[in-house]
Amino acid sequence: MRILIIEDDIEAAEAMSRGLSEASYDCVHAADGAAGLAEAQKGGFDVLIVDRMMPKMNGVEVVSTLRREGDATPVLFLSALGEVGDRVDGLKAGADDYLVKPYAFPELIARVEALSRRRETGAVATTLKVGDLEMNLIARTVHRGSTEIDLQPREFQLLEFMMRHAGQSVTRTMLLEKVWEYHFDPQTNVIDVHISRLRSKIDKGFDRQMLQTVRGAGYRLDP
Amino acid sequence: MRLPRIFRTTPFRLTLLFLAMFAAAAAAFLAYAYLATAGEVTRRADDEIRREMNSLEAIYRRGGVSSLNQALIERAVGERPFLYLLLDTRGERITGSIEESPIGDIEAPGENWTTFQVTDTDMDGGEVKRPARGMQERLTGGETLFVGADVGESEGFVTGIVRALWGAGALVILLGLAGGVLVSRNVSRHMAGLNDTIAAVRAGDLKARARVRGARDEYDELAEGLNEMLDRLERSMGGLRHAGDAIAHDLRSPLTRLRARMESALIEVEAGKGDPKQALIQALDDADNVLTTFNAVLAIARLQAAGSAPDQTLFDPGQLAADMAELYEPLCEEKGIDFKAELIPQLTVKAARPILAQALANVIDNAIKYTPPGGAVMMRVRRRSSGEIEFSITDNGPGVPLEDRARVVQRFVRLENSRSEPGSGLGLSLVAAVAEAHGGRLELDEGPGVYDGFGPGLRVALVLPRVE
Repeated sequence: MRILIIEDDIEAAEAMSRGLSEASYDCVHAADGAAGLAEAQKGGFDVLIVDRMMPKMNGVEVVSTLRREGDATPVLFLSALGEVGDRVDGLKAGADDYLVKPYAFPELIARVEALSRRRETGAVATTLKVGDLEMNLIARTVHRGSTEIDLQPREFQLLEFMMRHAGQSVTRTMLLEKVWEYHFDPQTNVIDVHISRLRSKIDKGFDRQMLQTVRGAGYRLDP
Repeated sequence: MRLPRIFRTTPFRLTLLFLAMFAAAAAAFLAYAYLATAGEVTRRADDEIRREMNSLEAIYRRGGVSSLNQALIERAVGERPFLYLLLDTRGERITGSIEESPIGDIEAPGENWTTFQVTDTDMDGGEVKRPARGMQERLTGGETLFVGADVGESEGFVTGIVRALWGAGALVILLGLAGGVLVSRNVSRHMAGLNDTIAAVRAGDLKARARVRGARDEYDELAEGLNEMLDRLERSMGGLRHAGDAIAHDLRSPLTRLRARMESALIEVEAGKGDPKQALIQALDDADNVLTTFNAVLAIARLQAAGSAPDQTLFDPGQLAADMAELYEPLCEEKGIDFKAELIPQLTVKAARPILAQALANVIDNAIKYTPPGGAVMMRVRRRSSGEIEFSITDNGPGVPLEDRARVVQRFVRLENSRSEPGSGLGLSLVAAVAEAHGGRLELDEGPGVYDGFGPGLRVALVLPRVE
């Protein structure tokens, strides 16, 4: 997996590179918007990490130029601006996800992972299958083996998200953003409680626990 | 060369403009009056001359040259204001009050008119030339008769009128200029007050205010507007300064802790003993706390700076509350708190949904945090009789004493017994800032009261204005 980091803060970029390399990603760094755009135009990247505020060309310009040229490489936007309006601007320009600085490293890795995998599952599926867990998106039913599992609408959405990102760590913030569509730090463990409810429904009475807690990061659904 | 200040003011320039317009109008009026009056005077003189000529011709027809000659001599003696000249067929003077005809050509047919000057002696014996009109006609017998009239007096009348008009015009312009100076001095005086205030503020005195004289005129309006603006500016500057102090105060302790922890970890690692991991985990925790506080302060500051929440839309408040209830209900259940929601459906509220959601989350979060297991939290959405939309969250935890209620909304205020709970002390201030950014308010009241070891509880209401 190759990642292009377009970030003018050299130290932050180096830290990011180091961390992503440890998670076995190949990183290329560009130190300003123009250089980053040139590098991105060469192609061959799985994810672009683009800082919003940079000299020469800002992140929004880089991303919208790439999108105009038909480049659909997933983009993770990084910004110190976390207001709703800033977020909307970034997403409008064509970014796929938005992360506010400063961020926890597991959060960055989880989002990059989610973006890099997203490409591989392009087709519109009517069922999702992870291990012996099967979800029918049309009938909105869930089975584990032969047992039908009864879920509330939100639990269904939560499980769907976990299944689409099976094998990846997803963070609490990602869940709050993608499943509940809230963009604030809830401060208490609201998400944990929802996960533990879901866990009791899909894992209780089974030998193998599918819904794992990843220490310091969040959760993972294992097949 | 720079003009004196008074001449550079807008009112003075306006005065000049009006004066110029007035002068142009006056000149046009003057020209018209002159032409009309002067024309009238000439016409009248001409009429009189023609009548005299007619009467003399009648005398000539009846009695010939001798009667006319007689009549002319009589008339010259009797103070008639006419000038006469009778010439014989060869153009020689027979009689008359002037020596020769101003119209020399006696052969010219019909009647001939002229304007000429007569020389007269005034009372001091000096010569004066006065304007005159006259006509000349060939009589039937071949003689030539000239009748003229001194129009000096009438002309003088016209000249007098013109002079008076010029005088009046000059007077008006003088008065106008004086008025302009007065008005502009008056305006300048008022503006100077405002400008002084602005200069004082620019120089850093945020307390400077313009004087409102109570005349309820546009200067007062301007001064009031300026003062209001300065009040707001001062408040937000004060808020910023307070936020700065508060950030310094609240961030200093976790930052100090963080620093100490890292320092001791470093010493331990250098000494080759101890596991730095625990210290690092705690340091990360501290850093996260600092960031949380920082984000909350920033969010409040932005809301206050923006004045009103951005991107407001119309939506059903019950729906938002139901979403929040759905998010928090499992948390209550886990903590053994009874959670109920009473939501009036199909109301409309205008708000920035994500910001309002965050505010409600803060309130619910607080309620759950401070309600002991076995207690209850109740969320309601309703419309007040005033049309305002009220979100209220009531718990039966320990509540907040009356004297502390206003205080807990302020930034960083945490009551003694809440220090053990995690939190930045910014939750309710953020809620208050959100309410204000929507033109609403935050109300804190006592909950359901004391019973079964619970209570008295706290009721937090976020009241948003009615949608027109």
